[in-house]
Amino acid sequence: MSVLNEQRDAPQTSSASIDPLELSHRRPEWSASQPMTRAQKMAMATVALGLVVAAVVFPLKTAQILIALCTAFYVIVTLYKFIVIRASLSPSAILRFSPKEIAEQEPREWPLFSILVPMYKEPETLKQMVLSLAEMDYPADKKDVQILLEEDDEATLKAARALTLPKGFSVTVVPESFPRTKPKACNIGLHLARGEYLVIYDAEDLPEKDQLKKAVMAFEASPARVVCIQSRLNYYNPRQNVLTRWFTAEYSAWFDLQLPGLAALGAVIPLGGTSNHFKTRVLQELMGWDAYNVTEDCDLGVRLGRAGYATRMLETTTWEEACSSLKFWIKQRTRWQKGYIQTWFVHMRNPLKLCKELGAVNFLHYHLLIGGVTFSVLVNPVFWLMALVWFVFRPEGVSQLFPGPVFAAGAACLFLGNFVFVYINLLGCCKRKNDGLMWWALLTPVYWMMMSYSGWRACIQFFRAPFVWEKTQHGLVKKA
Amino acid sequence: MDVDMDQERKQYRMVRLLTGGVTPLVLAAALLVYARLHDGAWEPGAQAAGICRELIAGTTEGRQALFGSCWVAPLPVLFYLPFAWVFPEPTAGWAAFFAAWLFVFWTVREAVKATGQSGWRIVLAQAALASVMAVMKQPQALQISSALTAGLVLLAAAGLADWAAYRRLRDVVSAGAAGAVLVLCGFPMFGLAAVAVGLLPFAACGDYETRPRFQAWLLLGGLPFVYALGVWLLLNRLILGDPLFFLRSLAHIVPHFPLFLLALLIPALAMLPALVVTWVRDAREPSPGAGPVASSALLVSFAAATMAWGKVLEVFGLGWSATAPRLCALVVLMIAVARLRQPVYRLAVVLALFVGISSFWFSGASREAKPPLSREAICSKVEAYVQARTPYGRVFVVGYAGLDLLRGYSGERLVPNLDLHIASLKRAYKGQTLFALIPEPRGAVRAESVFWRFPEIYELGGERLLFSESFGTWRLFEVVTAPTQEQLDEWKKPK
Repeated sequence: MSVLNEQRDAPQTSSASIDPLELSHRRPEWSASQPMTRAQKMAMATVALGLVVAAVVFPLKTAQILIALCTAFYVIVTLYKFIVIRASLSPSAILRFSPKEIAEQEPREWPLFSILVPMYKEPETLKQMVLSLAEMDYPADKKDVQILLEEDDEATLKAARALTLPKGFSVTVVPESFPRTKPKACNIGLHLARGEYLVIYDAEDLPEKDQLKKAVMAFEASPARVVCIQSRLNYYNPRQNVLTRWFTAEYSAWFDLQLPGLAALGAVIPLGGTSNHFKTRVLQELMGWDAYNVTEDCDLGVRLGRAGYATRMLETTTWEEACSSLKFWIKQRTRWQKGYIQTWFVHMRNPLKLCKELGAVNFLHYHLLIGGVTFSVLVNPVFWLMALVWFVFRPEGVSQLFPGPVFAAGAACLFLGNFVFVYINLLGCCKRKNDGLMWWALLTPVYWMMMSYSGWRACIQFFRAPFVWEKTQHGLVKKA
Repeated sequence: MDVDMDQERKQYRMVRLLTGGVTPLVLAAALLVYARLHDGAWEPGAQAAGICRELIAGTTEGRQALFGSCWVAPLPVLFYLPFAWVFPEPTAGWAAFFAAWLFVFWTVREAVKATGQSGWRIVLAQAALASVMAVMKQPQALQISSALTAGLVLLAAAGLADWAAYRRLRDVVSAGAAGAVLVLCGFPMFGLAAVAVGLLPFAACGDYETRPRFQAWLLLGGLPFVYALGVWLLLNRLILGDPLFFLRSLAHIVPHFPLFLLALLIPALAMLPALVVTWVRDAREPSPGAGPVASSALLVSFAAATMAWGKVLEVFGLGWSATAPRLCALVVLMIAVARLRQPVYRLAVVLALFVGISSFWFSGASREAKPPLSREAICSKVEAYVQARTPYGRVFVVGYAGLDLLRGYSGERLVPNLDLHIASLKRAYKGQTLFALIPEPRGAVRAESVFWRFPEIYELGGERLLFSESFGTWRLFEVVTAPTQEQLDEWKKPK
């Protein structure tokens, strides 16, 4: 607690003159401020119309072709997962630094590190957050911490004023304007950042104490084109309820296996929401985050790739709070999936240019990671229903929809593909030494159903309310 | 420093290309040439091709055949299927053969390199295996199914040994996955798969850090195995109406079935000494992992268990299926030798010895007798015989052997049939004269469902089945039916 009393008058920075929407003003083609272009709308309408006409004129053939395409997609995704997980075994998948290696760095001059902490209506987590950042193993005079608070968030502002912030901490007030999103606040923080490197943490985050030092060492050990270092995220409340158990299993597989695998393959990486460390100058050149995109982190990962930069994974963990309420989980997942849809449409405004900038292989990665994830959660229920009908009623019609090779590939996906996805979650839990969660991970298919529900909700919301930011409620673990 | 690293990288790439690309390709091609020149009548995927033909045609027989027997297992068929789609016969068979042996040489590389051995040691092991295949004069051992089995046994055994030695997560996954896929290679491999997978959690019990995580290793290693078996049961339930259909033949073809089940447990005892060595070594090591000695002990014990398993099968009259376990035992032993740290020349001498003795090793294994008549000859003779009797005849060629017989057949008179439900056939082919063509119940054919449903059908026929004619080892029976009223009226009419 003592660290809180070091600095009597915490500076409060004005941000009135900063344009947090710089990206959408200067490069509107990179921003989700316009969710879909006219050409995209026309293309979608044409495809939809074509499908309706085909379904009326050749219903069986249309259904067979659609099912064959979806099956091919499932086969590709299953193989892709195999490749990614295998790549995660590579030594280059993740940057590792032992405590000894960190200790050997001393004495040295550490660079100034900017830390952005966007918060909204979270007065209860403020104190813990400040304490956690103050205790990080990094020289206090080299930390440039900005707590980004919204102008209308009286409760958190009041809590911040009541708190004596440590040295290097400041509060930045974000003026009230549309859209009210986390990336908009972060852009203001980015403009004011003084550090050579910059990282974002959420209010409830508990990063490992040596994370900043590891990040600096990772940047120094990597080629110049590596401008982002992504830490692994995991949850400190996995056993709160079944939802947090599944969520932890999913995160363990994503951050401990799949993202390292993607990094090893040199793929575009959809960044995690927090604990991504950047070279500040490059991030400023890229005009920061897209304030209109509700998964600005994922979008930024793609933009880094398009600009020719690379992201690496770092072996260090930031502990977060897993959403334990189904209501808020659905809202959070809806936002993530809506953001993925936004990101896909933004970068597909000029597919040829995207392919040229990313390269053919990364172009495929992009589609499988960003478009593929959303597509699969949307079509999964259709195939589950068909499988169920086939198992229970064995109707003649269903078998007509699956000609020989399609049936074989479909059966392989059903029996092998789904198992592989569950097994990856088990593997993630095992790697994290969360052995007790492994039994729960066997029930992951139920979690997929919830994801599909959120996916459809996201799809509808993308057309009806693209910029609505459904905020995740934190602090539920304490209430529980 | 950078120059050294560059050179190391170049060398690494060269070695990888040699052991993972050039050598497997050359050796698989050499085996292909050898197999084609050695015996013109021999085929790489005899039964798989017949089942694939039906699967591609989308028939019920194809789906039933894919999952309906633990002797003609699904994996070789599923492996063959893409080749059968893309290529015509016999190109599909040779392409699948080539791919299967590429897989085996790749597994040799993976198993040997896991202990840090590289370069010529891997090449020597791969070449020795190819030489063994050439000198053993066992056509069965060169089959696609044997190749896949050998590769998977090697992956499972090496995964188990590496897990015990180095305690790497990927080894549990590798052994667990290989064990699960091995189950799909058929009954002769059930025990080996269960041993490889079942020992994974026990192999980690020697260390106080990994011991408490028993359930994690059990789940990670055992789940794929249980799942594979579960899917097979489920598909039997869905397609054949009986979840245990694929296992039913066991109780009929094995004498003293309960004793047989007990005897199957005996080979697993061969693993006990190696397990004790693993625990003792593990407890002595400062970090988790029992080291290379335990790894070698496990591999040798695994080979011994494999041999014992083959012996049990032979003793209980299943000798036709014992070639695969023998081959697997040999491969595992050779790889155990190749993983040891020793000079290359010594390894070459030891592997040459293996090659030398392999011809003796396999001399006692049962060999498939060449059929007296070719498939085409049998089909045309049967067709001609039936045509001479009636223009409305239909011949049901029974069992997996039937699917194999009809592989190249393009007519409509001969129809594959798996389990001969005469009543339903009569309903489906009303007004036609029906025949059943029955294979000789010898070797693997004994396990066909038709023989456990009608044990004396080949010798005595059956209810409404009258012997008509023999075609090689096949016998044709006519399904006799009472004449209909219309037929009786027809006959009564004055001519």
